[in-house]
Amino acid sequence: MSVTGLYASRRRSNTIAITLSVAATVIGLGWLVLILGVLFWEGFSGLSLAVFTEMTPPPGSAGGLLNPIMGSLMLTTLAVLLGTPIGILAGTYMAEYGRHARLTQVVRFINDILLSAPSIVIGLFVYEIMVYPMGHFSGYAGIVALALIVIPVVVRTTEDMLILVPTTLREAAFALGMPRYRIIMHISYRAARAGMLTGVLLAVARISGETAPLLFTALNNQFWNTNLNAPISSLPVVIFQFALSPYKDWQQLAWTGALITTIAVLALSIIARALAAPGKQT
Amino acid sequence: MPSTGREPVVDVALQGQGAFTGDTVARQRTLAKLKFSDRAFHNLTRGAAILVLVILGGVIVALVHGSWLAITTFGLDFLTTQSWNPVTEKFGAIAPIYGTLVTSLIAMLIAVPLGLLIALFLTELCPMSLRRPIGIAIELLAGIPSIIYGIWGLFILAPFLQVHVQPALIGAFGNVPILSTLFAGPPYGIGVLTAGLILAIMVLPFITSITRDVFEAVPPVLKEAAFGLGCTTWEVSRRVVLPYARVGVIGGVMLGLGRALGETMAVTFVIGNAHKISASIIAPGTTISASIANEFTEAVGDIYTSSLIALGLILFVITFIVLAIARYLLARVERKLGS
Amino acid sequence: MSMPAFTVPQVSHAPQDLAGLTEKVGVRNLNFYYGQNRALKNINVSLYRNKVTAFIGPSGCGKSTLLRILNRIYDIYPNQRAEGEIQFDGEDILSPGQDVNLLRARIGMVFQKPTPFPMTIYENIAFGIRLYHKVSKSELDDRVREALDRAALWTEVKDKLGANGLSLSGGQQQRLCIARTVAVRPEVILLDEPCSALDPISTAKIEELIDELKSDYTIVIVTHNMQQAARVSDFTAFMYLGELIEFGSTTDMFTSPKDQRTQDYITGRFG
Repeated sequence: MSVTGLYASRRRSNTIAITLSVAATVIGLGWLVLILGVLFWEGFSGLSLAVFTEMTPPPGSAGGLLNPIMGSLMLTTLAVLLGTPIGILAGTYMAEYGRHARLTQVVRFINDILLSAPSIVIGLFVYEIMVYPMGHFSGYAGIVALALIVIPVVVRTTEDMLILVPTTLREAAFALGMPRYRIIMHISYRAARAGMLTGVLLAVARISGETAPLLFTALNNQFWNTNLNAPISSLPVVIFQFALSPYKDWQQLAWTGALITTIAVLALSIIARALAAPGKQT
Repeated sequence: MPSTGREPVVDVALQGQGAFTGDTVARQRTLAKLKFSDRAFHNLTRGAAILVLVILGGVIVALVHGSWLAITTFGLDFLTTQSWNPVTEKFGAIAPIYGTLVTSLIAMLIAVPLGLLIALFLTELCPMSLRRPIGIAIELLAGIPSIIYGIWGLFILAPFLQVHVQPALIGAFGNVPILSTLFAGPPYGIGVLTAGLILAIMVLPFITSITRDVFEAVPPVLKEAAFGLGCTTWEVSRRVVLPYARVGVIGGVMLGLGRALGETMAVTFVIGNAHKISASIIAPGTTISASIANEFTEAVGDIYTSSLIALGLILFVITFIVLAIARYLLARVERKLGS
Repeated sequence: MSMPAFTVPQVSHAPQDLAGLTEKVGVRNLNFYYGQNRALKNINVSLYRNKVTAFIGPSGCGKSTLLRILNRIYDIYPNQRAEGEIQFDGEDILSPGQDVNLLRARIGMVFQKPTPFPMTIYENIAFGIRLYHKVSKSELDDRVREALDRAALWTEVKDKLGANGLSLSGGQQQRLCIARTVAVRPEVILLDEPCSALDPISTAKIEELIDELKSDYTIVIVTHNMQQAARVSDFTAFMYLGELIEFGSTTDMFTSPKDQRTQDYITGRFG
């Protein structure tokens, strides 16, 4: 009796635990689905051609998001162009030349911390080293701030992907008498390129939605501007300002901007994942 | 050099005896060039790696430099006083520090159990065909910009809480000793509790995906052995999976905590930006990052700006410690798996 | 191939006369350490020009380690250290001043598993050539063809030189790797169990190839397959627990081994 009684209670706690974890999954996923559902509902209702062709309006009138979209594209592109080479070179050192070096261990630790450091602190840093000395907010400062977020992401993925390149391949190249830099450029990079590209795309996805580091670097700009030496508009900052405003049109534009940003980020992450998938087999 | 048949191979093979010195000289030159390029590339990559350290150093130096005025003016009082008054230029950081810690605590109290249970579901219970899609969905959600969570919190969650949940809480706990202070005051909708909830939703995918990875790394033989003894799924999870994965889970939780502490946009929308500590968690408050985001561009006067940067320095130090612990624990797990 | 383990393998080369041979590589008092661990103990052996020398022995005996010292591939890992001397045409391979890249171009290596680079068949070969020789496009074409020809691969791949090296079969990939090694025009070729991942037919092709290549190169092969050693080599060295037990002409080794341990291994009593 006691054996079956014990077993019954064990089964009961098992059932409770299973029920709880199913419930947790439903709640967790449901909540996230709810967020996305609302975002799509609110965002789509404000989506029109004007969003992509008109400037941000003054309160109380109609308009679009052309200048922040352009600003975001410019800032993101240039930040990636600035941050990616540095990240790839550093990751290369860690996986190739300095794989066993003490420096690599230190850099890996620091890089991992930078990877999840509060992005608003990066904004403050760039304010201190660029905005304050220059005397004004600028697109350049925004680019540097975003690039500082790109670097750790690219360092991490580059190192991880290069380490996955089989040692046999590297040895075979060494055995031909190839110098290391040629092996890296022609063998390692080639074997790891899908994974490295994934890293860059994930970095793009990450900075496409970053708001905090732009608040006091690129600031915002009500008007069309491609001069990087002046404040420049970006989608996340416009969403922030418009959402907190009391005006209905602005709030609607904030939702639409949020939808555009989310779709861009999700698309980038999905492409990155698809790219990484076949690379994993080799 | 005409290459017919095998002749050239022999040429090279003979070069050790000095038959083709011209070729040797050419080789020496190529060799020197290769060596130079290799050294140059080596130093270039090394420089980039060092730059990562320089960036971190730069962040620390810049923050200390920027907050120097506040540090010298207020000293340690900065850490203990609550006043935040731009008019009298008296600044103290205790309210935002308190807000940061409390919102993160609320977030972790909700997200950690939920995340663990979801990870358990994904690794032990979920049908194989659903594992990948749900796993990918969670990872994608972890990448959604935090401003999206913020805007949702402002327009949807806060009004909902204000109308439906907070009045009920106030009513239900109004006469219970401790809880009545915790839920005192009018239902604003926005406030510390709302910020904590939004943070919880935001870090949930993050904690879930790390915990799942750690759970999946538990050797199948261990689980099989436990199942072989007649353990139930829950017993295997509690007695084998969780203890084995403990260090990694703590690392993942700390990483999530680091995120929550430093998060700006998800919080700024719904915290209310009130520089005071209230016992009630439905009252408005502020966090370090929200204060900086809200006030930095409008701050006039050096001491005001410097105080905000000092807040940033405090935030950086706190998250640095939390993240360093997280990374240390996770690295330990990786080393264990590697050996 | 299906010979029972206890019969003595058939030797296919004539007995060797040591007179008239040139020493290409001479290993003298070689010791090797993985960290604190001594993996090779006092190895002394001569590798003769235009001959095939086989290293046999149970796994973990140090035969692959020895091979990896000859082109200093071990250099790329920390905590590995070689002591002693390896004479290679009068220079010491182990001397710190030795340029390892040049050394590796002169002493080529083929690995256990085929290691085609992630590029086209043509590029796989052309890549190594371009490193040390400035050649015109037509000359490069010639040399790629010559290398593939030598590796008995030309007829099979001549119509798909642009295809990825990974698209070839295992045996073809290994011959591609041999072609890649030959293309650099080394003097010595090291083969580290080159057939262990291959089927019998591909193995036979590679063995034929080794036989042909030795007219131009000094060849060293590590194998766990005694029949293979007997078939392809002129000299055989038997290693056991990091020591070189016996070295001599393949015929002598397989017909009248001097050491009991060699005899036991060859007749399959341990290993």
